[in-house]
This record gives sequence, structure tokens and C-alpha cells, in this order.
Amino acid sequence: MGDRFDVVVIGAGPAGSSAAYNLAKRGFKVALIERGRKPGSKNMFGGRVYAKPLEEAFDGLDKAPIHRWVVKERLSIVNGEEYVTLEYSGSGGKSFTTYLTDLTDWMASKAVDAGATLITEVVVDRLLIRDGRVAGIVSGSDELEADVVVDAEGVNRLVLEKSGLVERLTPRHVALGVKEVIKVEKGDIEKFFGLGEDEGLAWVFMGSVSDGLPGGGFFYTNRDSLSLGLVIYLEKAVEGMKRHIYDMVEDLRIGPLFSKYVENGRVMEYSAHMIPADPRAIRPPRLVWDGLLVTGDAAGLLINMGYTYRGVDTAAYSGMLAAKAIEEAEGDYSASSLKRYEEMLMKSYVGRDLEKFKGVHDLYMNPRLFKEYPILLTGLLRRLYEFDYGGYRLSEAFSEARRGLVSLPRIILDLLEVYRKL
Amino acid sequence: MGLDIIVGIKYVPNTTNVNIDPKTGTLVREGVPSVVNPHDLVAVELALRLRDRYGGSVTAISMAPPHAVAGLEHVLGMGVDRAILVSDRVFAGADTLATSYVLAKTIERIGRYDLIVMGQETIDSSTGHIGAQVASWLDLPYVYYAIEVEYTGDGFIVTRELEDRIEKYRLSKPALISAKMYSLEPRQVTLRDKLRAVLERPIETWSNKDLGLDPNCVGLRGSPTIVSKVEFTPKVPRKNIIFEGDLREAVRKLVQALVEEGVI
Repeated sequence: MGDRFDVVVIGAGPAGSSAAYNLAKRGFKVALIERGRKPGSKNMFGGRVYAKPLEEAFDGLDKAPIHRWVVKERLSIVNGEEYVTLEYSGSGGKSFTTYLTDLTDWMASKAVDAGATLITEVVVDRLLIRDGRVAGIVSGSDELEADVVVDAEGVNRLVLEKSGLVERLTPRHVALGVKEVIKVEKGDIEKFFGLGEDEGLAWVFMGSVSDGLPGGGFFYTNRDSLSLGLVIYLEKAVEGMKRHIYDMVEDLRIGPLFSKYVENGRVMEYSAHMIPADPRAIRPPRLVWDGLLVTGDAAGLLINMGYTYRGVDTAAYSGMLAAKAIEEAEGDYSASSLKRYEEMLMKSYVGRDLEKFKGVHDLYMNPRLFKEYPILLTGLLRRLYEFDYGGYRLSEAFSEARRGLVSLPRIILDLLEVYRKL
Repeated sequence: MGLDIIVGIKYVPNTTNVNIDPKTGTLVREGVPSVVNPHDLVAVELALRLRDRYGGSVTAISMAPPHAVAGLEHVLGMGVDRAILVSDRVFAGADTLATSYVLAKTIERIGRYDLIVMGQETIDSSTGHIGAQVASWLDLPYVYYAIEVEYTGDGFIVTRELEDRIEKYRLSKPALISAKMYSLEPRQVTLRDKLRAVLERPIETWSNKDLGLDPNCVGLRGSPTIVSKVEFTPKVPRKNIIFEGDLREAVRKLVQALVEEGVI
């Protein structure tokens, strides 16, 4: 083909759109290739985005399709009908809820406005390798050459796999996320949660909701809809999963936590996606090769902080840094020159948080967190609050609640681990 | 000597869960993502195969609001050479008669063509009128349920598949055919063609300024069809009965319940 681009970006998600936008802004001729019908049609997230890194990656974030700014956070430990909830109300303004499809579409449109060429409905099959370096991409029988390629293909990184740059994903690498978007009446969200018009709630929960498997749930308020979903870590689910995940989500929707919010709602959308589970396992051995940079979920940049997830901001930020590194490389797109991207990324908050929260995944592999402790905690509080005549002292309630469940030394060790890893 | 082919496409809401406005009886299209009518993609595939075999060109036409440009980009990505979006406010609210009139006039304005290919019907209205009506306006021979076309130089041999037989027709050119739904697997968009669609944008937009049609013959005013009533199939609440016990016993209970309900 006669058309030649400076840069080809694989995938018009948050990482790819950010890379394309920041490159086009710097005068690079960029092709942004997306397999979906439009940007965002193939991706999925829980429901919230941290704003600051996005503001850095894109100008004019105030024009983005933002639904609600999160001012309320809830964390619940669930044991069947019982649950313990911790709620935090603050001034908010740090993260917002949205539909990722719309936000991604906006990001890609920023890239197009900046001069990038968006090509949708095209699947990139593999990298074009010439003389041992990445020289473009191959789609079907077509090749598209470029000086440098940005891989932003997402968690299911088939292009990298086919090129032999990363190992195949196994259940250990990924979790499964399933989500329902439930439309509710206008004004319901404000009424239910005591929120202002553009204020939102983020809610994560764990325990019996995942049938005792490593994982948890999330709930976010959009403009006039609710996002409710589950994440199950596949490593343990392969053997431990007893029923379909959609039955688990259904139970969640009609269960004690959420039924009152969604009973008059209508399920508008049902989606599922793979989620990078253990950032250390999924991270490619390197993020740059000759002529190639890897960004976003493909680089394993989703961070599970234990009490919240973030992936959209880290993806967009990595795309921006990739663009910066390409500019600074001044035409030398060898791995040693592009290494600057990996350095900048690892020195940024993305790399720092990846390091900080690297233990969370191990913590999640502790089955007691999802089974015994929710039982213990709800049992403890039940004894403290529900009595007819005489009540319990805390120590009494505690030792009774944990009897036959988990030993005291075990609890102390687990607590220490939680403390160390969170 | 190649074949110049015109193919008609419609950009339709991509849903089986169609919402109807109870007042007007028309489709609610808002908020529903659109796609090229899948049966039209069969027509596009047939046209592209003929072009690939005999040479020539394929021009896609669509009468639609401006957003249908994405649908035209899709077929350009499949390999269609040129696209024309026929778009004007006066064309809005058209029934099949007014639509086929505008399409026929568009085809007349294109001028040079050997063959017109349409889809069998659309997924959002399923009338199957357009092919026959355009053929009537243009006074062309018309065969529908076509599964195969052979070009003979002065015309076509068209194979038509019916439920119980296959028929072969000899048509003089130019002619119009409707491709039988599901008869061909539409090809995927390719990088090369999509890139060309995006970079060269071989899409023209024609309004009524270009066509100069009498406003009384197009759009809502040119549409004699009246939707007098829309009736919905009644919603039957689920009974939520689970038949337990061993398989034989459960099936027996199920059959019994179905008989009692008058289903079987």
C-alpha cells in the first residue's frame, strides 16, 4: 500500500487513543486501528475513572462524557443475607463514573481531531517484522508499514502472542468480569443514596457474593443507571466454580444489598470481559522492542489496590508516555532508544503503584478472605447488636464467632499480611 | 468490458428488540446502534464477486440521514469502489414508494450501469418492496431470490432459488436482482479498502438540489402508506415452574403441564 504512517497504533481504547492523540498533536502521521465497529465497542470496565492522569493525557476533559463525580465510597463484606458496610463520604472530585464506550469514543475523536487516521472494523493479525524489528502490522493479506508501532490491543493480546513476544494467557493471568447496566428512574439515584445531581457512589464488596472464590463485586452510579458486576479470579475458579457466573450476578441483583435499588430498574446491557489479574504475571518481559511499545492492559497496567481498581487512567497515561518517548527518540526507534518509555512509565505513579500493590494479588489468593472472614465479621456484629436480654462483650462475641472457623494465630497472621500488602 | 454495478444498502438499527413509538407507530431509532442491513451485505458480496470476476465497478447507494455514512464506509471497506449518500430533509418519513422513487432517480442520475443488486429485504421492516419498485420505475427486468449471476456480455443468466425448485432466467441488461438472504457469506472489511475509504473518502452526498425531485413525490408527502394501527403481541408472564425429580419424571410433569396449558 502506498500509504505510509509514522506510527501505527493497535487498538483505539484508552491507551491507544491517548497515544494516537498525543502523537498526532506532536505532528506525527498516525493510523489508529480498531477492530470494533467504533472505538469503545469492544471494551468494558467496572464504572469509574480517576480524572487527574486523564486530564494530563487529554486536553478538555471537561467536555468528556462524564456522568457523576464520586463523592461516596462503600465497602461491604457480605455473608449471605448479612453484610457489614464501611462508608466514606468526602468532597470527591477525584474520580468519575461514565460509560466507557462513550468515554473511549470521545478519546478517539480527540485523536481524530488532532489529525490521527482512525480505521475501524479492521483486525490486526500480527506485527510486520523485518530484519528483526517491528516495521508495521499485518491484517489479512494487507500490510501497513510504519516507523514504529504502539501496541494497545488490550488484555487479550493476541498480536503479541502471535509474534512470540509474550506467553499465552492462562487462567492464572486473568479474572473474569461480568456486568449489568440497569436503567433506573430519573432521580432514583439521588433519592436512594443521598447524592446531588452530578454526585456518584462507588461500592465494592466481597465475601459470599463470589461463592467464596477469590474475587468481588462492584456497583457504580451512572447518570440514570447503575452498573453492577462481579469479578472472579480464574486461577481458583477453574476448579472451585460451582455455577454459572450469570447466576451469581443475578443473585446479586435480587439479593439483600441491591434488590431495593434495582427492583424497578430494567437491565439494559449485559457484558463480560477479561481482566488482568496479577500484574506481575501478565506484564510482558519488556515493554519495548525494536520498533514497538506496549501500553495499557496489554502491558498489564490495571492496578487492583484491594479497595478499588484503576485501569483506564493508567492506560491513557501509558499511551501519553509512549507518545512522549517516540517524540524524544527522534527517529531512533530501537529498543534501547524506546527504553525511555519503560523508564518513564515505571518512574511515574503507574509504575510506583504497580510496585506498591503488587502483593494484593497474593492476598486475593487467600481463600479465608472470601469465606471464613465474612462469616466471622458478620457473626461478630450479629452478636454485638442483636440480643434479647443480655448482650455480649466484644471478646466474647469474637471468640464465639470464630469458634470452629479459624484459629486465633491464623487470624493474626492473615491480618498482618493484609496490613503488609494493602 | 467490465460490469458497472449499483448496489442499494440501508443502514438499520442493530436490534431485534425494536421499540415502536405508540403514538406514531414508527420505529424509535434513537440510542440504538446501527449497522448495514445484513441482507444488503449479501447483495454487496454478490456485486463484489461479479466485479472481481468480470471487472468493472461497484457503486453503493443509500437514502438516509447523514449518519448512514458509517454504513457506506463499511461497504467501501469491503471493497465497494464508490458510494453515494442520498440525503435531504425532504426525503424523511418516506415509505417504500417514495424511497424507491428517490433511489430510481438517483440511479438514473448515475446513468451508466449494467446491473443493480439489492438485498432481499431489511431487518427493520421486511417489506421486500424496494427492489420490485425500483425495477418498475426504471422499467427493468427483475428477478428476486437470486443466488447466482452469470454475465453473458449482453445480459445475465440469473439463478433463483425457491423452496421447492431452482429457476434460471435470462435477462437483458441493464437488470435488477435481489440477492437471496443468507445465500452468500459477506466478506470482512479489509485494511486496504478501509484505509482507502477513510483517506480518499469516495463518498458523495446528493441532496434534492442534485436530484430536483417534486417534493410532493418524496418523503412523507410522497408516501401513500398509512400506519393505521400497531398491535403488540401480548406479554405472557413467565410461570417460573421448575420440574424437579429424575429426568423421566420431570419430563412427564412438563409434558402434562404443557397439555394442561393447551400448548401441545
